[in-house]
Amino acid sequence: MSSIEVAGLSKRFADRTAVEGLTFNVDRGEVFGLLGPNGAGKTTTVRMLTGLLSPTEGEATVSGISIRTGGEMLRRRVGLLTENPGLYDRLTGRENLLFFIKLNELDARLAWARASNLLRRFGLEGREDDPCGSYSKGMRQKLAIIRTIIHQPEIIFLDEPTSGLDPEAARTVRDAVAELAKDGSTIVLCSHNLAEVEQLCGRVAVIRGRLIEVSTLQAMRKAEMVLEVRLASDPSGFEPIVKALPFAPAVELVDSKLRVKLRHEEQAADVISALVLAGARIHSAARAERPLEHVYLELMRREDAS
Amino acid sequence: MAFHSRRAMAVFWKDSLDLRKNRALLWTMLVLPAVLVLVPTGIIYGYAHDPHDPSLRTMALFYDPTLPAGASAARYLIDKTLTDWFGLYLIMPVFVPIFISSQSVAGEKERRTIEPLLASPVTAAEILAGKSLASLVPATVVSLAAFAALCALVDWVAWRYVGDLLLPNRMWLFGVLVIAPLFAFFGNGVAVLVSARVADAKLAQQLSGLVTLPLVGLAGGQLAGLLRAGTLYYAVEGGIVLLLDILLVVASIRLFDRERLISRWV
Repeated sequence: MSSIEVAGLSKRFADRTAVEGLTFNVDRGEVFGLLGPNGAGKTTTVRMLTGLLSPTEGEATVSGISIRTGGEMLRRRVGLLTENPGLYDRLTGRENLLFFIKLNELDARLAWARASNLLRRFGLEGREDDPCGSYSKGMRQKLAIIRTIIHQPEIIFLDEPTSGLDPEAARTVRDAVAELAKDGSTIVLCSHNLAEVEQLCGRVAVIRGRLIEVSTLQAMRKAEMVLEVRLASDPSGFEPIVKALPFAPAVELVDSKLRVKLRHEEQAADVISALVLAGARIHSAARAERPLEHVYLELMRREDAS
Repeated sequence: MAFHSRRAMAVFWKDSLDLRKNRALLWTMLVLPAVLVLVPTGIIYGYAHDPHDPSLRTMALFYDPTLPAGASAARYLIDKTLTDWFGLYLIMPVFVPIFISSQSVAGEKERRTIEPLLASPVTAAEILAGKSLASLVPATVVSLAAFAALCALVDWVAWRYVGDLLLPNRMWLFGVLVIAPLFAFFGNGVAVLVSARVADAKLAQQLSGLVTLPLVGLAGGQLAGLLRAGTLYYAVEGGIVLLLDILLVVASIRLFDRERLISRWV
């Protein structure tokens, strides 16, 4: 069942179009990535889905609530972690959280018990009475995550959660997100950090003003049929044999492996037979998965060309 | 869309807490009341200290050529100072909310705290109410405390000559309790509106602060003898400000819109 259904969503500001005709679904319990370069419209999309901006065209429902009319009810069901933690520096961590507990009209005692658990889980226990201005960037982001989920939202939107963090802080934040995912939360992660998306997301939408692709990461990596064959001996001698096959596949040598570009899956058997007949001893043969970075850059190049 | 007073009070709680912890703003905010209390005290001390100075009569006749020969020029000047000074005192209830609201409204943008706030269930009207309250309450407290200090100091320095309490009098009580809150509301409304349109708190403060210029101009007119202040005069000022307050409330509700704030502020 879909937690988020987006159909033809567009947002135009006075002098520019931020996003146009976005259509995708996010399933319940899924960690979904919104991938795109800076200015691609990721933040605008998240702001529309959290009820902060109303779309110019199109419709979307989040947890079954229309983003056009959901208003306060919608905002109760979602949690938004903004790129900047947006904490009140003069206030302590406890006061920052209490403010959002009050805004969400939660039972103060129960909500604080939950906040205490989260503070412990995210390693902030003992620092809750320090002013947030004294926190490190990683601590600030972790407190902002706790603030985002304090009201137990059904859907969590994370906008560039590790942007500007040092590698250690970024890792702790990524671990925190992974923990939320383990709890079964539906998470929409906006990022241009491909490694992060690769690590956390099951499915991604690549956008640049409009939707370029929406798919599982696995399908994206395998979108192109590449057979990777590891041989016991030097593979360079076998390159001409593969190239001579009737369907003349493109072949390249990468890290002492033969990478053979195929048109369809059945051609893999012909390649392996030809190699065996030529006396090659095959260690392994598998369909290659391209790194997400290659897939992403190729999508962007294709988008530029069009 | 229902108005939840609990959420408005949460905004009030947060802003009040933030203000209490902002020592720099608190000290800056106290400079104006100190000036507005100490300057008239000094002037009245001057008149009361040497009431028979012949130059006082020249000054009094400048303001009122019909002043009877037997009347005390010092007493006339003391009364006139107290009456005219209320026009300048009104700068305080206007300026203090401008100081606080500019920081709390435009400051949310500068600190980039506005987006998480707007993403919470709180409505724009509740934010507006909470923030206005967080600026009006300290403005009222400061104005009343300054008035109390002014009463005590003026009565202390003038007692030896006057032999009676000069303050509080009916005009000041009416002004402080009725007119000053209307001016405070006006200052807050202007600051909220300006803060919703400009990029940073300092600019919001400077632009909003311009609304105090007419008050300074009116006080200048009083000192130059062009305008004659009194209870009716201040009541008319209050009436005009009341109309402006109503316009500001309408404009604030229209302009303090979530989408406008997020697309302009972030």
